[in-house]
Amino acid sequence: MRNPTRLISIDIGSTHTKSALFELDGANGRLLARHAHPTTQEDLGRGAGDTLRALLGGRKDDSLERLRADTPVRLSSSAKGGLSIVAIGLVPELTLELARMAAMSAGGKVVGSYAYSLTQADMRAIETRAPDILLLAGGTDGGHTDCVLRNAARIAESSFSGPVLYAGNRAAADEVAALLRHKSLAVADNIMPAMRAVEIEPARQAIRRIFLERIVAGKGLARLAEQLGTQPQPTPLGVLRLVEAIPAHVPAWTDFCVVDLGGATTDFYSHAEPPVADERVVIKGVPEPHAKRTVEGDLGLRVSAPSVREEARELVATRLAEHRLDETALNRYMETIAAQPGHIAAGEPDETLDGILAEACVRMALERHAGRYEEAYTPQGKIFVQTGKDLRGVKRVIGSGGFLSVPANSHWLRRAFAAVGCPGRSGLPLVPEAPAFHADRAGLFPLLGNLADLWPEAAARLAVATLADADATAPGPPVDIATGQQGAHVP
Amino acid sequence: MNKPTTVVLGVIGADCHSVGNKILEMFFADKGYHVVNLGVMVSQEEFIHAALETDARAILVSSLYGHGEIDCQGLREGCREAGLDDMLLYVGGNLVVGKTPFETVERKFKAMGFDRVFGPHANLEEAVALLEDDLRRHAKSD
Repeated sequence: MRNPTRLISIDIGSTHTKSALFELDGANGRLLARHAHPTTQEDLGRGAGDTLRALLGGRKDDSLERLRADTPVRLSSSAKGGLSIVAIGLVPELTLELARMAAMSAGGKVVGSYAYSLTQADMRAIETRAPDILLLAGGTDGGHTDCVLRNAARIAESSFSGPVLYAGNRAAADEVAALLRHKSLAVADNIMPAMRAVEIEPARQAIRRIFLERIVAGKGLARLAEQLGTQPQPTPLGVLRLVEAIPAHVPAWTDFCVVDLGGATTDFYSHAEPPVADERVVIKGVPEPHAKRTVEGDLGLRVSAPSVREEARELVATRLAEHRLDETALNRYMETIAAQPGHIAAGEPDETLDGILAEACVRMALERHAGRYEEAYTPQGKIFVQTGKDLRGVKRVIGSGGFLSVPANSHWLRRAFAAVGCPGRSGLPLVPEAPAFHADRAGLFPLLGNLADLWPEAAARLAVATLADADATAPGPPVDIATGQQGAHVP
Repeated sequence: MNKPTTVVLGVIGADCHSVGNKILEMFFADKGYHVVNLGVMVSQEEFIHAALETDARAILVSSLYGHGEIDCQGLREGCREAGLDDMLLYVGGNLVVGKTPFETVERKFKAMGFDRVFGPHANLEEAVALLEDDLRRHAKSD
């Protein structure tokens, strides 16, 4: 029989660096300890080193190499703005949509989207934004070439010096490579080789390679990776892998969502089987992947709070009135969190105001992630026209991130899923009909995401076992957030 | 080896007739075309978007339910807006309600910018011969 393996997982977030010590024995896993430390922006390695020493009970002068000598380390990071990607496609609903999907499923944050030909002004905006990666797509294999060639020429004469990933029409790849020979170019298979055929996996792999080869150093992670003897990955990529692993290894855990609500962004993950084909339903647009991630850079509880308030004005106003709060209370709170993005709400009305903002973030992220359907009357009778991902069959929703990982906050998550649709959009959103709610109460999803590629079964089972069931009357077994010493054991 | 010519195929508007669409797909594929079949209930935008991404030479529009005239208006203009100036537009099926003589129907759809118009009993062999002819002529004028 094999001996249990001990592993360390570290996730460097924009505000906190978290670490955990796991023991894995085949398909079973156990959390032994966990620790969190403020992220040290100027030197990411320092905070990571401190959390590792605290986790392993090491001394201050112990080197990282010594500390991890017997225990392999897995590392992820979403610090320094995460992995920013500008997506370029031909038609907005087709290759641009898939370029965005590929970027987000690789753990990236889409900081710009451009369809058709890039103008000079577009290119200036990209130069100013200086994303980590420029993803260029357009045309099916053997299809349109003029547009990607024009865009490649535009990029060639620009001052953008970061990596460019070409994942467009294969027939234009050689010419694109020639145009961009002075840039750092990688070429992946076309994300849409044929009309409505989705092949985002090769682009996703290529983004991962570029992240390792080109971006890790720029994010101040190269030295740390060397000291820890591991390669980092973008945090959301690990979480998406975990979301893919759960239905494969945990019975009854199909069709679920994970919402990770942070200070600046809201990440929304779903795993849902497509519904059985129904001849009354006509599906439009590109096919949706089973496991999908979207990330909203304008939705979050701290840095992004002003845009949340702006975009969900009506919902926020309704909730304020329900709680007998007025705009001045919110104004005051907005000033507080603008001044201290690390502010943790304690007492009223701050906790309610956080809840209202959280509900608005989740609702809008859900509406953007989910598809929609509309009834249409035809001479052959009533039919349904569906676009985007159908989440109606989703049975469970997991809240993650600082606010939603607290089981007591699950009622805000529940309200967000029950709220009425955003006004001004046609059709009805394909949102979960009657899901159960859970909280990632030990904040383990990003840390277990780091284990999901090599130990998918243990990571998936442990992720589910450590959740708090927000619908149960009795709370689950306690996990000490500060020490995690009790741990959760998966039999 | 020449690359096969791409044609975009679909049933326009709120029309769900899918049998003829499948037959057309098989027929044109059998004749060596790369057929991008969008199926039923296809909007003008979807035809244009598919033609753009796939670099198609022709859009073949079907309409069986009698609303073809309204559904097809503006498709030529939409192609021009999208930069598809040389796109061949074919339309066929039960294009209008009632017993309008075919010549009238044909005139109407040609005025809308369609290159070829076919009635419900069109011969597909003749249609593909016309398409090959039109493609050759378009290639020469390129």
